[in-house]
Amino acid sequence: MSTSALPRARGFPLGTVLHYWVGVTVVVGMAFPLVWMLYSGFKTNQEIANTPIALPSVWNWHHFVEAWQLGNLGRLYLNSLLVTGVSVTALVMIASLAAYAFARLRFRGRDELFYLLLIGLLLPAQVVIIPLFFLLRDLQLLNTYWALILPYTSWPLALTIYLLRSYYLTLERELEDAARIDGASLFQTYAFVMFPLVRPALATVVILNLVNLWNELLFAMLFIQDERLRTLPAGLLAFSGYYLVDYRLVFAALSITTVPILVLYFVFQRHVIAGLTTGALD
Amino acid sequence: MGLPSRTERTTGGRAVRASRAARLETFQKYLFVVPALALFATFVLLPLASALYYSFTVWEGLGTPAWVGLRNYVRAWNDSIHVRSYLNVAVYIAGTLVVEVAFGLLVAVLLASDRRGFGFMRGLFFSPMVLSMVAAGLLWTYVYDYRRGLLNEGLRAAGLGEWAHPWLSDGGTAMLAVIIVSGWKYAGFYMIIFLAALRRIPVSLYEAAMLDGASPLQRLWHVTLPLLRETGVVAVLLCVTGGFAAFDLFFTMTNGGPFNATEIPTTWIVKQAFDRHNMGYGAALTIVMTAVVGVVSLVYLLATRRRHAVEY
Repeated sequence: MSTSALPRARGFPLGTVLHYWVGVTVVVGMAFPLVWMLYSGFKTNQEIANTPIALPSVWNWHHFVEAWQLGNLGRLYLNSLLVTGVSVTALVMIASLAAYAFARLRFRGRDELFYLLLIGLLLPAQVVIIPLFFLLRDLQLLNTYWALILPYTSWPLALTIYLLRSYYLTLERELEDAARIDGASLFQTYAFVMFPLVRPALATVVILNLVNLWNELLFAMLFIQDERLRTLPAGLLAFSGYYLVDYRLVFAALSITTVPILVLYFVFQRHVIAGLTTGALD
Repeated sequence: MGLPSRTERTTGGRAVRASRAARLETFQKYLFVVPALALFATFVLLPLASALYYSFTVWEGLGTPAWVGLRNYVRAWNDSIHVRSYLNVAVYIAGTLVVEVAFGLLVAVLLASDRRGFGFMRGLFFSPMVLSMVAAGLLWTYVYDYRRGLLNEGLRAAGLGEWAHPWLSDGGTAMLAVIIVSGWKYAGFYMIIFLAALRRIPVSLYEAAMLDGASPLQRLWHVTLPLLRETGVVAVLLCVTGGFAAFDLFFTMTNGGPFNATEIPTTWIVKQAFDRHNMGYGAALTIVMTAVVGVVSLVYLLATRRRHAVEY
């Protein structure tokens, strides 16, 4: 990151040491539960009971195989990938189209429709769980992937359109006008000129929604009861219910479901942080 | 705003064709927003309207809802657990303001350094943000475990064995325990938004303060904090509205227990609707919650708008 505007402790070794000491203490204290989770999955239940903090005497890799198989974690991963992948793709495509129109096209009712959409920014999703449940039941979509894909595509629309619209508003008008003068249709102008320009903002909203939807619990546990269709958060919760006292298995399952996400985070750290804090920063 | 529609300006014989083209283009413009609006109307607005309707009915999910007027709202007012859930969530929000926003600010100031390793520390501090609440909640349920938990075992190892405590199953400490996890999960978020604000403060202000002989603490108090006010206003709003919407962590760790000590509006709504099949009553509770969140946000925005932001 760029140079800090904060005053530095001027070449004071004691200040530097103190600064590191406090920083490292806070960060290690915060990260330690994750490290503890990681190595506890290798321990036997007896070890966990007798010496909860100690490292495993034997590294039992097979606990992870067991958790993977018993929890059907591969299936949960696939379900989450499918539901989140389809939802985020559809969401971003649809939101970008609308955001462009709200930012750049002139048509009757444009602003009113945009304000209507903004209602979605204020609503907590819990507000609609009851009617949404019965709507999906009447459409016979409960216990199908659609029961998640449709709400997952619809609920984040307000925020996503809002964020993309502000980005479209910052783009120069010249390219767009040139395309129109060359005879490109509205849609061609959008698809070949404007959409490629909005890519940086697109990456941000994709990450934001990817993380939020991947981790979503409430809709996932209410609208899908079929174990084979569950997503990771709902499946993990059910798993921990079945194996409540089989500590090693729950630790192993926790590691299996969190470590890949953390690795991805550290690889794409800059983008993920930008994505998750977008909206709060403008 | 919008594209200049050149077709309107053409004259003569081409006018008819041009106006037809213009109409086609108007139609095309609506096509851009139709998919989004259709989904939004079906899965957000329609359910919202239905929730309002159900809130005036008694309904168990089958058959036709029976109209009962305001009875559900009267019941909500007299439901002591429901009222208590708002007190609980107020405590939770107050707690998260400390462990998420205030602590996030503190860590932002602490870790805003170009010294080697601080970037990595910030990255690490932010990392719980990408985990699911379920994973965070489960992990911490084991951290708080009475016999095998990291916390109690750590206390025993430090010779503070008598402080060991069943944190989540004691009504006196359960809320605090959940609040701590919330801080663990979200402080990194507030750290980042405060960090961004810190980086926007011009170095010249600090130089001027140093010339005037201000100590580091004075600089923090008189330069940094006033300039973070605007960010603070946003952070508090996000934390408060986010607090009302909390559910996953409570559901995973305590599900409102022990004895409703951590019951919050969302857990109570889900229990009413999906355990007890009181759909009408549950819907009324969601409407109450929407109204409360709306009013609180509005009052907060109006109250913070008065005072002018510091210019720099």
